[in-house]
Amino acid sequence: MRVQRKLRRQSLAKLGPALVVLGCSLFFVLPLISMARFSFQNVPMIRLGKSTLLDGWSIEGVKKAFGDTEFRTALALSVRLSIGTVVLTIALLLPTILWVQLRLPKARAFVEFLTVLPYVIPPIALVAGILPLKPHARWFLNSNYSLVPFYTVLALPFTFRALDAGIRSLDVKTLVDASRSLGAGWGTTLRRVLIPNLRTAIISSSFLTAAVVLGEYTMARILLKRTLPAFMAQYQGHEPQGGMALALTALVATTALFALLSLLTRKRGPRVDRAPVSMVGPTSEHHS
Amino acid sequence: MSALIYAGVRKTFGPTVALENFDLTLRTGELVSLLGPSGCGKTTALRIAAGFERGDSGTVEVNGKDITHLPAHRRNMGMVFQSYSLFPNLSVSGNVEFGLRTRNIEKNERTKRVAETLELVQLGALANRYPHQLSGGQQQRVALARALAVRPEVLLLDEPLSALDAKVRATLRDEIRRIQTELGITTLFVTHDQEEALAISDRVGVMSNGRLEQLDTPVAVYRHPASAFVARFVGSMNEFPGVVAGPNMVRIGKATIAVPSTAGLPDGSFVLVLVRPEDLTISMNEAVDASALGGSVTATTFQGASTVATVRVDHVDRMVAVHFSGAHSPAAVGDRVFLSIDTARALCEPHESRPHIHSGTDPVGH
Repeated sequence: MRVQRKLRRQSLAKLGPALVVLGCSLFFVLPLISMARFSFQNVPMIRLGKSTLLDGWSIEGVKKAFGDTEFRTALALSVRLSIGTVVLTIALLLPTILWVQLRLPKARAFVEFLTVLPYVIPPIALVAGILPLKPHARWFLNSNYSLVPFYTVLALPFTFRALDAGIRSLDVKTLVDASRSLGAGWGTTLRRVLIPNLRTAIISSSFLTAAVVLGEYTMARILLKRTLPAFMAQYQGHEPQGGMALALTALVATTALFALLSLLTRKRGPRVDRAPVSMVGPTSEHHS
Repeated sequence: MSALIYAGVRKTFGPTVALENFDLTLRTGELVSLLGPSGCGKTTALRIAAGFERGDSGTVEVNGKDITHLPAHRRNMGMVFQSYSLFPNLSVSGNVEFGLRTRNIEKNERTKRVAETLELVQLGALANRYPHQLSGGQQQRVALARALAVRPEVLLLDEPLSALDAKVRATLRDEIRRIQTELGITTLFVTHDQEEALAISDRVGVMSNGRLEQLDTPVAVYRHPASAFVARFVGSMNEFPGVVAGPNMVRIGKATIAVPSTAGLPDGSFVLVLVRPEDLTISMNEAVDASALGGSVTATTFQGASTVATVRVDHVDRMVAVHFSGAHSPAAVGDRVFLSIDTARALCEPHESRPHIHSGTDPVGH
């Protein structure tokens, strides 16, 4: 009797984690299914139920959204902003982290603290801080690309960690010393030794930056820029179904982006850099 | 001709003095080892030659050129590091070719030199492998080939063998010496392993607290250490506490022995007499040497090629080690024995107070 009770307890103990995983999965998947049905089923919302599960599926909504010229303009702007932000982020962060690692290791904690600030300072505060300067920097704030520095700051918590993990997985000091002893200056060392060995970290960081840019709404809205998230929010106002379809497509695209990133970083090659890839992507975190 | 000269180099890291008035001259084609405990400044000295650190004062010259202020990448040095330093993104041949590319050497010459250098380190067959596909020993050979391919004026080796296991270390050590001799390249080798330094070097520099304590041939450093520090650091040393009992005479327990020097200490001064284990002769018979020290064997330790007997010496209550070649000690644990000291190479070190009488401590001061 006691043995049977013990076995039952063990079975329940094994079942527990499975139930937690199932519960969590449902928590994430059910809203997505509802979202997909609302977006891609031409069935009045009131009739959406078990009996209409297979009725009226169509991609008309998303096709219509894709056909909108404003969508293409917004997407193009977001892509350009992503590229600009990635370039600025890597150009600023890579030398900074390398310098801290090689020459100022004691400053690492401080730099890390600085990069966390965008987590605690809301984007709106960042923009509010710059608005008083608008009369003096109109040329800058009127440009669509004025978002690039803001997005760079916003992406810092993610990009810093991706790059830092990659750099710390290498014996950077010895590699730099070896390269310099062989006659390479800093430029050659960066180009031929460090960047190739930090490929994974740079890719991770770039993808995370792009995900932040493609999901950010608040700053774009306040600075009146027609980025993809701003377009989606506006589009959803007059085309709820198409807007939801767009949001879902963006979510799927971001997930695919991360799957690709995961694949790229897992591929084994003549590299030692194995920067862990954070899957806590910002996706549409800022998209209200 | 002198290939590398340090003159009065001083280097500090905050309050820590890493090098103090450091002078060292390497003759062309010789291999000099810098030997010393951790933190003695040997790696700092090497890094200053490589250009990775800059001395606070003093100068460094290579083949007559002052390179004190020359950046690392403009010095024609080859360096092998303690940790594996191969570029993970490049193959073996890519690594060896790296320094040749930075020097803009043309493709044909590069290919020829890479092949030659890899043959020199006997790794020609692994040219297309990547560092992660090589063992530690192979990686260090490639690092050596990479350093040699650029035909450096001086080869700098920063404990290149310390990450390897004992057998590979011994093989690679001999390999480094063979290649160095074959190429006649001036080499500065930093190590904390005395056996390595004694085996490989033309001259050994023993360092302590940022200073060069002694620079001499391996035999001279071992047989005629310039200071008690060198004597203790290079090889094993037995220490006998005693009292000066006349000019060049020391009383240890009840025996009085002659030593080469009592360093001008007055009678009655407390001293430590330092004697190498191989300068002690063990006998079962007191009559052999009137000045022999009595004691009893407390342990025998088999060490492969030799056996060490540990003897507790009467009256001074000190444990000392005596080496025997072969697997067996002539004396067994518990035997009463008599130790004769060959004092010709014994060193006397003054003690401010009566030396503390140890019991049961490591007899060779390790």
